[in-house]
Amino acid sequence: MDYILDFELLDKTSLPMAGGKNASLGEMIKSGIRVPPGFAVTTDSYLNFITETGIKDKIYEILSHLQSDDVDALNKASAEIQGLINSTSMNNEVQWAIESGYSQLCKKCNVKQVPVAVRSSATAEDLPTASFAGQQDTYLWVVGTDNIINSVRKCWASLYTPRAIDYRNRNDFPHEKVLISVGVQKMVNSRAAGVMFTLNPTNGDPSKVVIEGSWGLGETVVSGSVNPDKFVVDKVVMETSERTVSVKHIQCVHDPKGGEVIDVDVEEDMQSRCCLEDQEIKELVKIAKGIETHYGRAMDIEWAIDMDFSFPENMFIVQARPETVWSQRKKGPLLGKKSGYQLLMDQAMKRIKIPG
Amino acid sequence: MVDEKAGRFPDPHEIEFPPELEGWEEMYPSHYLFSKEREGWEKSQFWYQDKIHDPEPMPPLDLIFHEAWQISLAQYTTRVFCIPPAQGIAQRMVGPYMYICAINPPPDEVMGEKAQLFEKRVFYVFEHYNEIWDKWIIKFKALGEEMKAVEIPHELPKFVPEDQVLPAPTGCYVSHDMKEAFDILVNQMFKGWQYHFEMLNLTYLAYLMFGDVCRKLFPGISESAIGKMVAGAYVSMFRPEEELCRLSRLAVSSRGVADILKSDMAVDQKIAELDKIPDGKHWLEEYDKAKDPWFYVSCGSGWFHYEGSWLSKPDIPYSYIQSYIERLENGETIERSLDKIEKERDEIVAKYRELIESDEDRKAFDDAYKTVRTIYVFAEDHLFWVEHWFHTIWFDKIREFGTLLVNTGMLNEVDDIFMFNRYEVPEILTEVATAWALGVDVPLRSDYYQAKADKRKKILEAAREWTPTPALGVPPEEVAEPFTIMLWGITTDKVKEWLKGMGEVSTEDVSELKGFASSAGVAEGPARVLKRLGEIMDLQPGEIMVCPNTNPSWAPVFGKIKAAVTDIGGLTCHAAIVCREYGLPSVTGTGFATSVIKTGDIIKVDGETGVVTIVERAG
Repeated sequence: MDYILDFELLDKTSLPMAGGKNASLGEMIKSGIRVPPGFAVTTDSYLNFITETGIKDKIYEILSHLQSDDVDALNKASAEIQGLINSTSMNNEVQWAIESGYSQLCKKCNVKQVPVAVRSSATAEDLPTASFAGQQDTYLWVVGTDNIINSVRKCWASLYTPRAIDYRNRNDFPHEKVLISVGVQKMVNSRAAGVMFTLNPTNGDPSKVVIEGSWGLGETVVSGSVNPDKFVVDKVVMETSERTVSVKHIQCVHDPKGGEVIDVDVEEDMQSRCCLEDQEIKELVKIAKGIETHYGRAMDIEWAIDMDFSFPENMFIVQARPETVWSQRKKGPLLGKKSGYQLLMDQAMKRIKIPG
Repeated sequence: MVDEKAGRFPDPHEIEFPPELEGWEEMYPSHYLFSKEREGWEKSQFWYQDKIHDPEPMPPLDLIFHEAWQISLAQYTTRVFCIPPAQGIAQRMVGPYMYICAINPPPDEVMGEKAQLFEKRVFYVFEHYNEIWDKWIIKFKALGEEMKAVEIPHELPKFVPEDQVLPAPTGCYVSHDMKEAFDILVNQMFKGWQYHFEMLNLTYLAYLMFGDVCRKLFPGISESAIGKMVAGAYVSMFRPEEELCRLSRLAVSSRGVADILKSDMAVDQKIAELDKIPDGKHWLEEYDKAKDPWFYVSCGSGWFHYEGSWLSKPDIPYSYIQSYIERLENGETIERSLDKIEKERDEIVAKYRELIESDEDRKAFDDAYKTVRTIYVFAEDHLFWVEHWFHTIWFDKIREFGTLLVNTGMLNEVDDIFMFNRYEVPEILTEVATAWALGVDVPLRSDYYQAKADKRKKILEAAREWTPTPALGVPPEEVAEPFTIMLWGITTDKVKEWLKGMGEVSTEDVSELKGFASSAGVAEGPARVLKRLGEIMDLQPGEIMVCPNTNPSWAPVFGKIKAAVTDIGGLTCHAAIVCREYGLPSVTGTGFATSVIKTGDIIKVDGETGVVTIVERAG
């Protein structure tokens, strides 16, 4: 039984064991896209947990009595099951697997107790209900085995939100068939972070990668609370056509005491300094091009540079989703189906505006 | 000089000249001067200094090339291929410097007529490019050979030779032949320049078309990326350098040859020493084989008589060979791979092509690219044959006339003939012919002409110290003339930069210049300002070359420098292309780098943003 699996071992065939989100991380790694390291707590762990601890029967027992349209009963059942999962001690096999996975991760990152993100990762059978199955369940900056195990249990429990239960009942989907995996992934110890697009979002130019970045975590860029540094780089000739270094007053950092992320002032001499080195910009462009090729479409990507690693192993992708604005715009041919001669004729008729 | 009003340059009719230039007007044909008769029209145009063709004061006879291109370039645009809104490029002299303007478009009805002719005539050329080129090169080489064959007497005989009188009198003798020979040379030069533009205008038009296609597909694409897709290697322009590489390799693999070539001896001595040993003899034979046509390459741009060629200044090719031999002995590769350049270009095109989203657009892109590549080789190939080979033949022929005038006592030095324009030379020849015909002891006005030549040389020398305004008149908002942007790199930004340079700001206060980002990369180092073509030899390895513009015979220099900055030139100018090949950063078309930057200044050249920064002034 594989209770945990390193992300590097996953690919799309791992979906039943590791869930969609983890499998797609594995696919990204396979195609050369660097994501923060981590491991999947597989569906076997979940199954083993509910079986070995004996709560499996209790759960299905509670569910079997549910009547449709009885909202109060639904909420009650949900609370009961989630309480059951969260309060039951982890059985040894699974506990040991997660512990060893975490200690290996800490070693890899060269950090004693590395903060991680714990996220649920839904499996194939559950895909139609993905949005109800606690897919949104994410616990950030989790440190230490005990906390991780608590978070894993919370993710498992998210299979039994009232909405998820109700959805399966309505669609006659057997609860027994629904399994869940959890991802445990290093939190990026972010020196600088931001977003990038594989086209220029201002004019749709597909030959450009546009990078925005600032100090610390990417939240300041995503939320627009700082003016980020901006770079426009040509994908083919790799020229930087635009390079704006802004004054970045604040940065978002993780506060280990409060356990949350907070905005702090950027040291004065760092404010006007470019948050990316030239080689890092080049590497990001390379990564962006790789991601675009991997997904076969324009992408919107979140990236971060991790202080715990050195270049280029420190360049991480934390999120990649399809670009929507320009991609959804229905475009006719830009050149109007013209031949070279017709285009030449057009040119000859033109008074050439002096560029600038 | 400086016009205080913002946004405009001085009125061409109100320019004041330094007193040392007094009398400059008589050096050039009168239609080259700004004139009262054409004042209204001249004021309505925007004139800028042509630093590409005339970076230095213009010797009167060297103006012939410009006279020829003014007609030819324009005629293909206006009367032959009929590019609808475009007119020609007019020239004027302002002191000994040439100014040019892209003439405003013609009336609408003329554009309509031209459009019809354009379609019919131009597409034919694209369809039949290869055969037209094959014919072009044959007829051009024939024209050059005809020019070489023109016979010019070096002195006048006391009596006409017997065989010209008996038994069959030729009926026309040296007094006529020499004037006719000059006229033939002039006509051949004008004809050569007619051929020069046979396809060039269309080449540039196609380039602009392709640029526009690229910008529609990739709105933010840079000019330099477009340049990289279109421009290839100047195949024929690289041959002189390739021949040097070949000769250097031969020297290294021969017995005793490399040592002689590496020694400090003068070229004559080297040749004498080589001639003493068998391998040396063989090497000299190989050198001679390469001479015609490849060592007809000018040491400069080909536009000035004093630049000389590798034929007349063998110390230049010999010094290049010397450094190539040293590099070979250090185990370095000296050749540039043209295949590699082409391969890189094809890869860039393929990568942009992949980024095109629709199949229709990809098809149109392919077609546009094919169109521009079909004809662009002309831009790459004509240059050696016209500006170098053909001009060198002309200069040599004219020097034979110079010799005649020195031998007849009319002039002091052979090259003084270049101090007279092409309308004045026949007058001098006529006077010589007349005096010869009249008999013995007939006086010539030698003093008159010698004084004139001396005075003109002084004016040209004085003009070197005079920096004229970069432009005259009111800048336009748009241009329709393909050469203006392509070759001279004239843009609104450029004009604004010029206006900035004209204000009260002194050149010492300027710390940053903008130009075309024509070859990517960043370099910092000491500047070497090469205002005159003869200063190439001063250049030290690792310096950044700052010059008005470069040309192909400078090619070996690029192996030494860190980066290049030019006053004039767009993305396809010579410096830009060679820098891209060598992977050196370059910023071209800065307008006035050679006057702002001083040799020894530490400068930073950013070939990605087109900015040149003066980091530290020389002490």
